[in-house]
Amino acid sequence: MFSRLLNWIDERWPLSPFVRLALDEEMAGGSSYAYVFGSSALIVFFLQIITGIWQLFYYVPTLEQGYNSLNYLRTEVPFGWLVHGLHYWGANAMVVLVMLHLSQVFIWGAYKRPHELQWVTGVFLFFLTMIMSLTGGALPWDKRSYWLVEVASSAAGTVPLVGDLVKRLMLAGGVIGQLTLSRFFILHAAIASGILLTIALIHLVALRKAGNAGPWDEMKRRIKGPFWPDQVFKDGLVVSLIILALVGLTVYLPPPYAGMADPLDATYIPKPEWNFLFFYQALKYFPGALEVIATVGIPLGGFLVLILIPFLDRGPERNPAKRPLAMEAWAIIVIVYVALTVAGATSKPEGLESPAPATQPAPTATPAAPAAPLTAGAQAGKELFQTQGCTACHRIGATGGNIGPDLSGEGLKGRTQEWMITQITNPRAHDPKSVMPPFAALGNEKTGNLVEFLQSLKAESAASKGAAGPSMAAAQGQVSALTAQPGPHGENGFAVTIIGSADHGELLFGETCTACHGPQGTGKVPNPGSDDGSVPSLNPVDQDIFNKDPKTFAATIDRYIQHGSRPEGPSPSIVMLPFGDTRALTQQQIADIEAYVMQLNGVDRARINHPGLQPDAFFWITVVVFVLMALAVAGLWSRRADREVGKQEGK
Amino acid sequence: MKSDHSTAEIGLATTRRGFMKGFTATLVAFCSLLVGVPLVGSLVGPIFRKISPSWMMLGETDALPLGQPTHLTSVDVQTDAYIRESVTRHIWAIRHSGKEVTVYSPICPHLGCQFDWNPSTKHFECPCHGSVYSLDGKVLGGPAPRPLDTLPTKIENGKLYVEWMQFKSGTSEKIPV
Repeated sequence: MFSRLLNWIDERWPLSPFVRLALDEEMAGGSSYAYVFGSSALIVFFLQIITGIWQLFYYVPTLEQGYNSLNYLRTEVPFGWLVHGLHYWGANAMVVLVMLHLSQVFIWGAYKRPHELQWVTGVFLFFLTMIMSLTGGALPWDKRSYWLVEVASSAAGTVPLVGDLVKRLMLAGGVIGQLTLSRFFILHAAIASGILLTIALIHLVALRKAGNAGPWDEMKRRIKGPFWPDQVFKDGLVVSLIILALVGLTVYLPPPYAGMADPLDATYIPKPEWNFLFFYQALKYFPGALEVIATVGIPLGGFLVLILIPFLDRGPERNPAKRPLAMEAWAIIVIVYVALTVAGATSKPEGLESPAPATQPAPTATPAAPAAPLTAGAQAGKELFQTQGCTACHRIGATGGNIGPDLSGEGLKGRTQEWMITQITNPRAHDPKSVMPPFAALGNEKTGNLVEFLQSLKAESAASKGAAGPSMAAAQGQVSALTAQPGPHGENGFAVTIIGSADHGELLFGETCTACHGPQGTGKVPNPGSDDGSVPSLNPVDQDIFNKDPKTFAATIDRYIQHGSRPEGPSPSIVMLPFGDTRALTQQQIADIEAYVMQLNGVDRARINHPGLQPDAFFWITVVVFVLMALAVAGLWSRRADREVGKQEGK
Repeated sequence: MKSDHSTAEIGLATTRRGFMKGFTATLVAFCSLLVGVPLVGSLVGPIFRKISPSWMMLGETDALPLGQPTHLTSVDVQTDAYIRESVTRHIWAIRHSGKEVTVYSPICPHLGCQFDWNPSTKHFECPCHGSVYSLDGKVLGGPAPRPLDTLPTKIENGKLYVEWMQFKSGTSEKIPV
């Protein structure tokens, strides 16, 4: 029946020759576990195609919904967490497998005649894999994505003469926008992946045409072994273990929730994925005009050298022991790559070693930095300014909020020390409508340090002269109008739809919220004039606000952060500021802070609401099934082998 | 003697190959299931998700004319999968006497078209397949399987609220989706 069907097809379509091309091969030197990398990369690539297409059932490549649509897949769609996790870890696995495959072929000398075309197509596949990794990284449109696109396009922009054009082509304009994401999306999901698939097929046909290179030892090469089932079995075993490992990684090391892309958030420190860390680190060693060497020279040069290897190294010798130069070159490349990766992974941007990373260093845009070094008192004041939450409302140079006045040029205003001390300890003495919380609890010494620091600020910032004035006044009007209401009120903001990054939220919380809510939200900061007498704790949060359901919990906190709140009581000194309405925080930042506050209360903002099957249960079931299946087949085989031996002995 | 030995080896080798083929097939089956079940699950799972009903404010009850259908619109904040947005909905409201109001969903229960009020015939008429309904929602003609769908209402402080929901089309029962 089956053979008749096969015949019927064969008369109309060359099925048997295709199967023969795929499976029928006498391998030089027989099968080996050394050859599993290529087939593993191929199968993982197929897995990427399937999981990639599946994500498209949910993902949309838009600036506003890209991040949310992916996270909808991850938390609301049964097994969506697995589909995305397999794609994420599969991408990492593919990079590793392609690198291992390339190294194995190089060490075995398997690129030499007649395998040059396999090598050249293989190098293209390696670069396409890196392009897939790069373009794919842009698609979640989280904070990492945004900076990846920014840095990658700026690096391309350093190309002499055509750099600007290349950058504009990548971004579809001068700046990152919707069309940029569309470009990265279509490059990833159609163009680069399509080319990758096509070249992979050419690569495979070249393998069948030229045969496998086999061991470097001539004598060993003479022993032949079949591809099917010997090699396929080894490949299959390794691939199955890789897929199991990918599931394990997805379950126990799920892809991070990095928070939605936010160009306005200067507190985020971007770093690329591990496979591009070497590049990130290398850029640091080529300052100024030399930068183009790293941005263009290294990738382009590396690509050309790799492609040319079989034509530069034409000697027939394949034994690595007799190719010292090639082996040394390879070792140097691997060592440099690993060293740069490790250095890149462990490096911290300058000025951020202190535990309070309040500001992103922006040397050109920091008029606040005075020419003379700060006095010890002013230095202490600067630290207080960053740790006490002043930056939430006040801007100095490029960073800080805009609820309060810009303080970049505070030292030029000719205010007396007394005036400034009063402003810090009792702001309403100067302006009864001021929303600034009194920082009387600081004490004389710290207040003095702050004043010393503020008086050292002598930058003529444009914002402090003109623009900030009216907008600040408007913001204040809004503040007093909106904070007139107690409790949560108003509509939820866009933030409530975003699964924020609790990690980044912790940093933002430290800068913006700690001043009133205490470190980790625990502190009972006194709030005279309110019924409670202190600012409410967020850790643990009030029972009326807490909710086990992450979405409900987020919706409640969100209204406080968006519109502020006025504590019950005759004349509370501290009111919750409307961080959303005044745009002191972006919606993305609010989402991050919400995720952090929820984490403090033991609720995971990124909880998987519809897992299909709980991730850890899924993993252990697959492991048990795999082991049982392996034992069953092995048992069956050993019984057959015994019978075979018994038959022979019986003769 | 020697040939016996090699037959044994060949026999074993054949069994070994057989094992490899069997094991490989099992591995393929295992991986297909491991990946296939989640893939199917991710497509099938969301098809049973429920639309959560929400209350919309339609306006002052007293402003509605008596015994005459009025086309009202209201804005509702809806969450559809990952998109949270304002959508404009419209309904038909009829105030009978005093505070009693009937609200019809604007969707024809036949196959989901939008019907309209014909002032000259004083009937609701669906342009798609010609279903005709009376003012009180009864089917007067056409293929409609059930009367017009009424929506839950409440009146608070003189304002009319309606709970927006949708129903399966084409069935004689009114089944929420």
